[in-house]
Amino acid sequence: MNENNKITEKNVIETEVAMGPVHSAAIEPYRVRLFVEDEMVKDAEITVGINHRGIERIMEGLPVEKANSLTEKICGICSNSHIWNSVLVAEKAIGIDVPERAQYIRVIMEELERLHSHLLYLAHGNEVLGHETFAMRIFYIRETVMELLRMIGGNRVQYGASIIGGVRPRCELDAMRIQKISEGMDIIEEKILDFADRFVSDPMIMSRITGVGVLTRKQAIELAASGPTLRSTGVETDLRTEMEAYEPFEFNVITQDDGDVKSNLLMRVLEIPEAINIIRQAIKHLPDGKITNRSWDMQDAPITKSYIEVPRGKLYHSYALEDGRVRNSIVRTPSIANIGAMQYAAVGHHITDAQLAIVQCDPCFTCTDRAIQIIKI
Amino acid sequence: MSLKSYSRARAVHIMLVYTGGCNGCDIEIVNCVLSPKYDAEQYKVFLTWNPREADVLVVTGPVTKHNEKPLREIYDAIPEPKAVIAAGACALMGGVYKNIHGDIPSEEIMGPVDNIIPVDAKVPGCAVRPEDVLSGVVSALPLLLDAK
Repeated sequence: MNENNKITEKNVIETEVAMGPVHSAAIEPYRVRLFVEDEMVKDAEITVGINHRGIERIMEGLPVEKANSLTEKICGICSNSHIWNSVLVAEKAIGIDVPERAQYIRVIMEELERLHSHLLYLAHGNEVLGHETFAMRIFYIRETVMELLRMIGGNRVQYGASIIGGVRPRCELDAMRIQKISEGMDIIEEKILDFADRFVSDPMIMSRITGVGVLTRKQAIELAASGPTLRSTGVETDLRTEMEAYEPFEFNVITQDDGDVKSNLLMRVLEIPEAINIIRQAIKHLPDGKITNRSWDMQDAPITKSYIEVPRGKLYHSYALEDGRVRNSIVRTPSIANIGAMQYAAVGHHITDAQLAIVQCDPCFTCTDRAIQIIKI
Repeated sequence: MSLKSYSRARAVHIMLVYTGGCNGCDIEIVNCVLSPKYDAEQYKVFLTWNPREADVLVVTGPVTKHNEKPLREIYDAIPEPKAVIAAGACALMGGVYKNIHGDIPSEEIMGPVDNIIPVDAKVPGCAVRPEDVLSGVVSALPLLLDAK
């Protein structure tokens, strides 16, 4: 495995397997070049940029409320994370106090999103493994979360819960909704624990995923991987422990040791009960009061930054405010930090494991295609 | 019903092409064909990733610059008779990405899908609902079954 993040022996290795931009193994368009010798992957190269839509350019000069709803369209899996972080930037810049009830509802939405994102990862991972039965079971569990999201937000995918100063009135949680969320959590917990038992006690699955796509702790830190990909190598890092909205809740930061596909899959399996735990605490101690603070005035602000922990890692948004309009918007999504990890995880294994090693880092190439400038030093 | 259309009706293969949307529609479509709740496979609708096997092409996303050529190639590779379904607001009219600030067209977006390949059925929504996808596929079926 080459130590520097560049391809050194491209001229020596003759066999190249190229996949993409549209390929049967990858739902999203991206391009992978695998340099193969004796069916072992010696080097991998991932190219993104096929999805580039220039959303920061579209945000430039829009009123901040419109720009916030536009950030939701960056990604269909973690849409709530994007709108939440974008709203947080404006709240930080102007100095708006958010009512406590709104913070709780935002956390509930975020954790429901984490549930559906992790369940989707498990389903997709099992499908790539070739175990379609497990994938179907997980898709069935995921429907419960999607129905809860449709009930709260009105849409299965993009629900636009957060606005500047609180949450939208349609996302107010009344007694009936709280009852349904609590019932849904019971169903998911029961089914996911059942799944976890079957998953770890299946020798076929375990022997297939143990030791595949290994990423060492040193490599993960050097490549600046983030989120569950970094935690699966044993680094205990979770921005939720530092976020203001998560202060009232108690939860554990899950870590695994090996950094292979097994660790990554088990990470998600173990994070799902933690998310359910946070949702239960939130609906139990949900404070009364308003859900939106409307007593604020728009003012100009310099570039303000905000980091939050989303299902895939750290998400960064920043923009400046000028006459109530957005300037110099920058979005950095966690998948772009994990591209290096994907390339390294595939190296040194059989070519049939390459797709699995890429999928283990939970790639979302829709998020990833931001405007990036590569500076040659 | 001829023998050809009899056999076609019993194995409708859908191919999903993703041309740069936000992942929302794609997961809903995969969900509606595969997942046990909507389960289009019970109506003999299968998901495939091979254009040579496909009967119905489902396109999502606003067709970014780099995706235009692959989309044409995939469309040409599908054997006749074929049907194309554009799913989601982006595929129908470019969505939020097409026009920057009202009327300035974005240089990155070549869509909507209509500009590039002929579209037979349209499924609205952002993101599309699985029920609508199923009805869209059903409305495109006569094109396949009535072909000689």
